[in-house]
Amino acid sequence: MPELRKDPLIGRWVIIATDRAKRPVDFLAPHEDVDAPGDCPFCEGNESDTQKEILAIRGNGGGADGPGWQVRVVPSIKPLLRIEGELHRRGKGMYDLMDGIGAHEVIIESPQHIRNAADLPKEQLHASLKAAVTRMTDLEQDPRFRYVLWFKNYGSVAGAGRIHHTRSQLIATPVTPLRVKEELAGTRHYFEDKERCLVCDLLTQEREAKTRIVIESTHMIALCPFAARFPFELWILPKRHSCDFAKMSPEELADLADVTKQVLSRLKGVLDDPPYNCLLHTAPFRRQRGRVGHWKTIEDDYHWHIELIPRLTRVAGFEWGSGFYINPTPPEESAKYLREAVVELVHV
Amino acid sequence: MSELRRDPILGRWNIIDTDEPAAAGSFEVEPQEMGGGKCPFCYGNEAMTPPEIYVARPAGSLANGPGWNLRVVSNKFPALKIEGELERRGLGVFDLCNGVGAHEVIIETPDHRRQMADLSLEEMSAVIKAFKTRSLDLRGDRRLKYSLIFKNFGISAGASLEHSHSQLIALPIVPKRVQEELKGAERYFEFRDRCAYCDMLNQEVHEDERLVCENRSFAAFCPFMAGFPFEVWILPKEHHADFAQISTEAVIDFARILKETLVRLRVALSNPSYNFIIHTAPLDPRAPEEYHWHLELIPKLTKIAGFEWGTGFYINPTPPELAAKALREVVLPS
Repeated sequence: MPELRKDPLIGRWVIIATDRAKRPVDFLAPHEDVDAPGDCPFCEGNESDTQKEILAIRGNGGGADGPGWQVRVVPSIKPLLRIEGELHRRGKGMYDLMDGIGAHEVIIESPQHIRNAADLPKEQLHASLKAAVTRMTDLEQDPRFRYVLWFKNYGSVAGAGRIHHTRSQLIATPVTPLRVKEELAGTRHYFEDKERCLVCDLLTQEREAKTRIVIESTHMIALCPFAARFPFELWILPKRHSCDFAKMSPEELADLADVTKQVLSRLKGVLDDPPYNCLLHTAPFRRQRGRVGHWKTIEDDYHWHIELIPRLTRVAGFEWGSGFYINPTPPEESAKYLREAVVELVHV
Repeated sequence: MSELRRDPILGRWNIIDTDEPAAAGSFEVEPQEMGGGKCPFCYGNEAMTPPEIYVARPAGSLANGPGWNLRVVSNKFPALKIEGELERRGLGVFDLCNGVGAHEVIIETPDHRRQMADLSLEEMSAVIKAFKTRSLDLRGDRRLKYSLIFKNFGISAGASLEHSHSQLIALPIVPKRVQEELKGAERYFEFRDRCAYCDMLNQEVHEDERLVCENRSFAAFCPFMAGFPFEVWILPKEHHADFAQISTEAVIDFARILKETLVRLRVALSNPSYNFIIHTAPLDPRAPEEYHWHLELIPKLTKIAGFEWGTGFYINPTPPELAAKALREVVLPS
């Protein structure tokens, strides 16, 4: 009997096919060509092919927009949103619109032409996450923005485009995304009832049950969520309650880099280098604290986390129409495969 | 400058690229290839599917044998199963229930080579009638709360068989997306004492900028805040919450506009893969009157990536004004 499971954060139901559970080998990920490092605008030596850097971590010295960097942040070549201008909020009959103002930045995670972040040394991941925190803290100063999304697309199926060089992206938006609002509402609702954080309760339960846990480190937990939408969907959550990714301690940040490396390597091993999307859910900017109702308890009721989605199934009419998903691999199975994977951690 | 446009019902903001809009020819469209092999939806292979639940066949031909015009069968690999009870239960902070529901396949034509856009007006009307009849029939089952009718055409839209078919899934819960629409429509109605969809339809027909085609009972347009390039909505001009109450005359008008829209899409975008979904009120007879049923058609032209998953917002490279113009300008074969 398939099961319907409810995501406790946003109330979305998912169909889990418990009968005909699919195994890793049932998903074949198409592979893509690696383009030549010489043509790649994100490789060391080709700095002039991007716009001027916003931030660079340079352990080995070197001047701005020249070689010698470890991680580099540049504006997107094809930005979805533009940084200049005002929002011009307006109506058009029954519709509402505003200008596409925002920030769109690319975090280049390696000077070498490496495709998958799973193959990065731990130090590179650590530096990339540090760069993300620095940029997010800076973007918060811009009063036009309400949220910044950190995400990563790997493989063309996952929307990575033509440049096969590992990177993550930051998009600051002038509105709080719907998906984040739903999560905020869901966790606040639970908090109002119990005066406890839903995600903290969930972590306690998962650590007791153990069946969906993939990795537990000093500061982080990686697990396949109970109501996973997708096969091998995986979340990374901090053990310490915190609503804000950018407020991580240095130890937590180093640990997160370590766990991310582990998780990405396991996914790569178990699913033969699948395309994936990775995204961060953290609290919106809280500078208007006190003005809007739910921002009063947000620091107590929201819990940041990273969601990792390998792209193995196709989203079709049913999912679009209903907003709920059919998952052919129960998360207990996914977690077991990932836990048991013998992974050789590649160090470049 | 791109624009952020807000969905007046869902409250979702989409990014519309009005700077460098992508025209119809700029999308990579996968070819719709016909593979070989024995097709369970063709004449003579009726035994390969579960027995028919509903059929349109001339008198004289035998059930579950050839000679039919349209057939509805249970999905051989159902996402949900019809037997059993829901058994709603908790598991610590989690909730779950058994996957009870119906999953049916509407085989639209016996002809393996024809797409839905190739169906005659009469055949298309028969498909709509089958949608209606099946939805009404499932209403008798108290465990079921919603019936979702949809079509996946082409591999990238999730179709696993190339023989033209659509699907019906009846669910024991009202899906989240539908609940959000109902809530949005209710909120709009409370504030203005008017239906949000009626207002939208009036504005679209009046502005005539995003309209694709219309007839006596229906209008097809690219919505102002479309999240996808060439997304088209078909709305009945009369306010009705429930698709299954569609009148006999409206069935024909709906068949006509759906066929016309599919043909325009096929010509303008070189036969793209697509999904369509009928959004209608829940099965509960006390369903909210504020709702307005409609069909949403989404050609599969863009990829959903981290930004969309993380925000629930979509990036649309083709402003709906441009998409509607391209679809309007298609010269229909007479």
